[in-house]
Amino acid sequence: MIAVSVAAGFLMILADRGQAADRDDGAKLAAMCTSCHRLDGGDGSIPTILGMSPEMLTRAMLAYRSRERPSHIMRAVTLSLSDEEIVIVARYLAALNKQVRP
Amino acid sequence: MKSWTRREFGRSTGAMVLAGLGPRLAASESKARVVVVGGGIGGATAAKYLAASARTIEITLVEPNPNYTTCFFSNLYLAGLCSLESLTHGYKTLAQRYGINVIHDSVAAVDPVAKTVGLKSGPKLPYDRVVVAPGIAFNYGALAGYDEAATQVIPHAWNAGLQTQLLRRQLESMEDGGVFVLVAPPNPFRCPPAPYERASLVAYYFKQHKPRSRILILDAKDSFNAQDLFLDAWERHYRGMIEWLPAQFTGGIKAIDVKERSVKTASETFKAAVANVIPPQMAGQFAQQNGLVDQSGWCPIDPITFESKLQPGIHVVGDASSAGDMPKSAFVANSQAKACAFAIAAALTGSERKSPHLFNTCYTFLSPDDAVSNAISFKPAAGTIKIVDNFVSQVQESAETRHRAAREAQSWYTAFTRDTFGYAAF
Ligand SMILES: Cc1cc2nc3c(=O)[nH]c(=O)nc-3n(C[C@H](O)[C@H](O)[C@H](O)COP(=O)(O)OP(=O)(O)OC[C@H]3O[C@@H](n4cnc5c(N)ncnc54)[C@H](O)[C@@H]3O)c2cc1C
Repeated sequence: MIAVSVAAGFLMILADRGQAADRDDGAKLAAMCTSCHRLDGGDGSIPTILGMSPEMLTRAMLAYRSRERPSHIMRAVTLSLSDEEIVIVARYLAALNKQVRP
Repeated sequence: MKSWTRREFGRSTGAMVLAGLGPRLAASESKARVVVVGGGIGGATAAKYLAASARTIEITLVEPNPNYTTCFFSNLYLAGLCSLESLTHGYKTLAQRYGINVIHDSVAAVDPVAKTVGLKSGPKLPYDRVVVAPGIAFNYGALAGYDEAATQVIPHAWNAGLQTQLLRRQLESMEDGGVFVLVAPPNPFRCPPAPYERASLVAYYFKQHKPRSRILILDAKDSFNAQDLFLDAWERHYRGMIEWLPAQFTGGIKAIDVKERSVKTASETFKAAVANVIPPQMAGQFAQQNGLVDQSGWCPIDPITFESKLQPGIHVVGDASSAGDMPKSAFVANSQAKACAFAIAAALTGSERKSPHLFNTCYTFLSPDDAVSNAISFKPAAGTIKIVDNFVSQVQESAETRHRAAREAQSWYTAFTRDTFGYAAF
């Protein structure tokens, strides 16, 4: 529950960032994800990052960071991201997904 | 040369991530030119992410080979668990979808004054920036008796392709009961866990097909990466099959006798049925010959842009770079290449430069369904690159956790090679 409201809070804080800035930073941060995650949904044994809302993605990343969800790879990744960056990349990936889903 | 249209690019999901990147120059401005030397992991990733960051940059990728075979997973090929073809990737997507001008040639020299890159076949390509990613070279002089000609009899198999194939054939034709001698190199070298992963997977092969055979690792070092994880796995999976002799025990490796197929150490000479000598390493020849290396034999770089500290306008990524705490791995080469591409795009388009996010993730097989992983994040600090966090698998993990890591590793391979070579069904 705490994670949910924290995530919602971040999204509000970011509401007034310029869209172009979000897209540019989001794309650069997402480039980090694509070293392991595929963007066609065919990830197999690595959890997919497609098809989630920005809130869900943000929550998932915060849960990896707090060890609530175990994965030492995702913990290293999320620890190196600021709260703001987590929201930016989550939003970017969610928007990307909306754009490409049939 | 450019065949890349907005429509074409937008069709692909994977490309979408990239489509959001980077500012654009006004159409009237002339294109900046970047030449990338080497189409391995670092070079291919840099070319692709440059193409995606700024459509106004003209990118030429120079690579002598028509295809690239990955070193990662080549130990699985040695164990008979995958084909070499499945590890081989071409440049078609980079050329066709990303509009990169791919030239199959070698770069002979770079002229930083004229700002041109000279190809072996003659032509000179003008550049605004160069990205150099030539991988490693072998320091043959360091091991008496082992030179380039010797690799045809005793392979290093530390570049994947023909060398790996030769080693596999030798293992196949070896008689049961033979000794496989693996000479492990001193630090720093390409992929710290890989010699020990190789020993593990060759042991797996022996266990299936030549159970009386043994593996002897003659190490130039006294300890190695993730040693506790390997020693534990060797005891559980291959008891009595693998012997590891550190330098303090043998007194160090002195010479290789190619005819006798033996390795001479300070204390003893070891005869092999099959030998695999991994020599000491340094930055790729191209870097050695073009003033990019310091006395360490590797290329010092700026930790944010990967621009050479010795030659302005020339950036070095991948194994050839001397990047502080970052190990020499494909994941690191890919991570550095992205940071470098974003920095070059920012410089050439005059946009804002951000501090890079640098990572390493490494999956290592102890047996086909027992794998471990390691995840490290890095950050530029005090002129170099430092580890921020480092997480490694634990010795006491459950079989299920290890099995899951092995399955994850397979998925990682596909995602990672697509990220690098744009092998995209998307
Ligand atoms: C057995 C083994 C297992 C490994 N396993 C893993 C793993 O699981 N995970 C991992 O992350 N890493 C792994 N690695 C390490 C990984 O392979 C390297 O770190 C990675 O390939 C480095 O990339 P690079 O671009 O620097 O060099 P390379 O990939 O070697 O590419 C260099 C390219 O430059 C080209 N070139 C050289 N000179 C010139 C020139 N003058 N002109 C034009 N082109 C030139 C070459 O032809 C080559 O294609 C492993 C390595 C080995 C040996």
